[in-house]
Amino acid sequence: MRKFAAFALALSVVAACGGGGTGGGGGTTDESAQAPGKDVKPAAKIVWWHAMSGVNGDALNKIVDGFNKSQSNTKVEAVFQGTYDDLLAKLNTALASNAAPALVQVYDIGQRYMYDSGQVVPMQAFIDRDKFDTADFEPAVINYYKYQDKLQSMPFNASSAILYFNKDAFKEVGLDPTKPPQTFTEVADAAKKLTKKDASGQTVRFGFGPSIYGWLFEQLLATSASPYADNGNGRDNRATKVVYNNAQGKAILDWWKAGLDGGYFYNPGIDNNGAANAFDAGKSAMYIESTARLRGHINTAKFEVGTGLYPRPDAKPKDGGNIIGGASLYIMKSRPVDEQQAAWEFVKYAMTPAVQAQWQADTGYYPIRKSAYNEGPSKDWSTKYPQFLTAINEIRDSPQNRFTNGAVLGVMPQARARTQKMIESVLLGKETSQAALDSAVTEMNTQIDSYNKANKP
Amino acid sequence: MRRPLRPRTAGAYALLGVTAVLIAFPLLLALSYSFMGASEIATFPPPLFPKAPNLDNYAAVLASIPIGRYLLNSFIVSTAVVIGQLLTASFAAYAFAFLVFRGRNLLFFVFLSTLMIPWEATIIPNYMTIRSLGWLDSYQGLAVPFMATAFGTFLLRQAFLQIPRELWDSARIDGASSLRFLRTMVIPLARPALGTVAIYGFLSTYNQYFWPLLITNQTLMRTTQVGIAQLRDEETLRWGLIMAGVIMVAVPTLALLVLGQRQLIRGLTAGAVKG
Repeated sequence: MRKFAAFALALSVVAACGGGGTGGGGGTTDESAQAPGKDVKPAAKIVWWHAMSGVNGDALNKIVDGFNKSQSNTKVEAVFQGTYDDLLAKLNTALASNAAPALVQVYDIGQRYMYDSGQVVPMQAFIDRDKFDTADFEPAVINYYKYQDKLQSMPFNASSAILYFNKDAFKEVGLDPTKPPQTFTEVADAAKKLTKKDASGQTVRFGFGPSIYGWLFEQLLATSASPYADNGNGRDNRATKVVYNNAQGKAILDWWKAGLDGGYFYNPGIDNNGAANAFDAGKSAMYIESTARLRGHINTAKFEVGTGLYPRPDAKPKDGGNIIGGASLYIMKSRPVDEQQAAWEFVKYAMTPAVQAQWQADTGYYPIRKSAYNEGPSKDWSTKYPQFLTAINEIRDSPQNRFTNGAVLGVMPQARARTQKMIESVLLGKETSQAALDSAVTEMNTQIDSYNKANKP
Repeated sequence: MRRPLRPRTAGAYALLGVTAVLIAFPLLLALSYSFMGASEIATFPPPLFPKAPNLDNYAAVLASIPIGRYLLNSFIVSTAVVIGQLLTASFAAYAFAFLVFRGRNLLFFVFLSTLMIPWEATIIPNYMTIRSLGWLDSYQGLAVPFMATAFGTFLLRQAFLQIPRELWDSARIDGASSLRFLRTMVIPLARPALGTVAIYGFLSTYNQYFWPLLITNQTLMRTTQVGIAQLRDEETLRWGLIMAGVIMVAVPTLALLVLGQRQLIRGLTAGAVKG
């Protein structure tokens, strides 16, 4: 599917040249002019494209059914469109011939790209028009989807990254399962203790086994209080370069490499499922991944699963914290105003605390609104999976700043892929950490340059 | 007639057997996984055979996607594409192989050069055409863009060229039209090549993912590969479930191929003894 992502990108250049961006917009201006008038009657039918399959797909259809039954004006039709990348590729094709739907779900890193397409009615327009109250929305989640402090889309499914650990293995080697390691050194020390060899000297259990996943690197930079890109991680203005070839970036790679060389980290490769399976199988006693995998681990693993805060440097920088991940909902400009209106009605319904709580219980993503935690399904969930509280506390305890808001780049999917190549080359000993960081940054900056030239705001 | 195996033949068989197992391994593993629960698959080292085989995964597939409808759609579309390809390719190949006309070679090279155009480059124009015809969410939209094949034409032309020119000459002398010659002589003689084109066309259509995803929005018009994607969770891969889906999609195709192969061999050997 990578081919299609590249193809989608090429198209974005075309789309943006023709359409033009929505422009900057200041910090406090009212955006309501971009929304349809308040008296526009919602359309009788709208289509929503999404990328939720399996269990999450069923949960999503439940929301749609609920909305369709809750009122008689609008019928929402949810259409599964493959992976996030497939959906974006299809959206591009459809935009070129005016066949896009009113509402689409796009992944976190597609944010800048959606903005530059100039095809989106900013969510802020509807929020300003209706004086819609977002006071009890999780700040970490809502800030992620803001550009120049305007909400471009409505967060829908949110997750973050945490440390998973094998409580049984902790007890076995005399580590305290109520106090999981928090810093790089603590993780390394615990990993050393957890590593187990058989009689022939073969390692049967590694201490720590993270996948080479660009998102995890982004999270480690954020807990290190380091920017990923310039211009406030691309949030104050469009990013012109990536900047992670700094001391924090080097410290992350050196820590990772030392663990591998020492034989107490496990390298599953660029393979998130491989890392998760290794944890389930007891081959690695700790690893870092999305909170969305929590339920899967609890149901699959034959040991007690523990969760802890995401690793951070030993100094525990106070500006450091975690970034959220997931996807959000965009209302498309190319549809008639009555469809935009209907899409907004649906978005409001999806954001009600009861729906959010049910969504959490069905999927394991966390609610966008704090008040959802008072609802029954959410309470049941927290009782059943107390480990989940780690995730939500971690995100609430994260200071809100440009590091923890996360980076936005038009070429974010490519940037993520490039950091993975970088980490791999360091772990395999092909390059030193600084050389690998520098070459990745140089290469990415060329790509950012050509993207920015092709997508003049 | 049965002779004892010579050591060389036995060695060849052993080698072939090992290769066959290697090639079939992923499929066999998929079959084995489809009978396992999630926690069994997660154990380390990964198990080869299910300890307590069960059909839960199959039941889950049936419960979560309309796999029967997807299979039906895939069969309708793939069959339509095969028929379309056989018709267009055999007519075109006949022209290139037997008819003499001005610019024949040039036209043939133009035909061949379309093989060099990556399919991805034609997605958007194709999509726009299908959309303006109002064929989104329809069998026509899924099948028609693939009914002409440069590769199939090339393959059939090469096969038709193997047919002795004298046959054509005598057919013409006896007054047979081109169509009759094609029907009564060329098609039966080139049956293996036609079979190859048919199987190739069927499989490549059956395995399509992006095109069906692109032009369909209704569940009832989607095909098997889109269905498999629907079984996949974004965050946690349920291998057993996916493998059960894969097996359910693969088995009908395999059955068809096995039956088709018998047909093919019959086609190859029919009349071989009489010459």
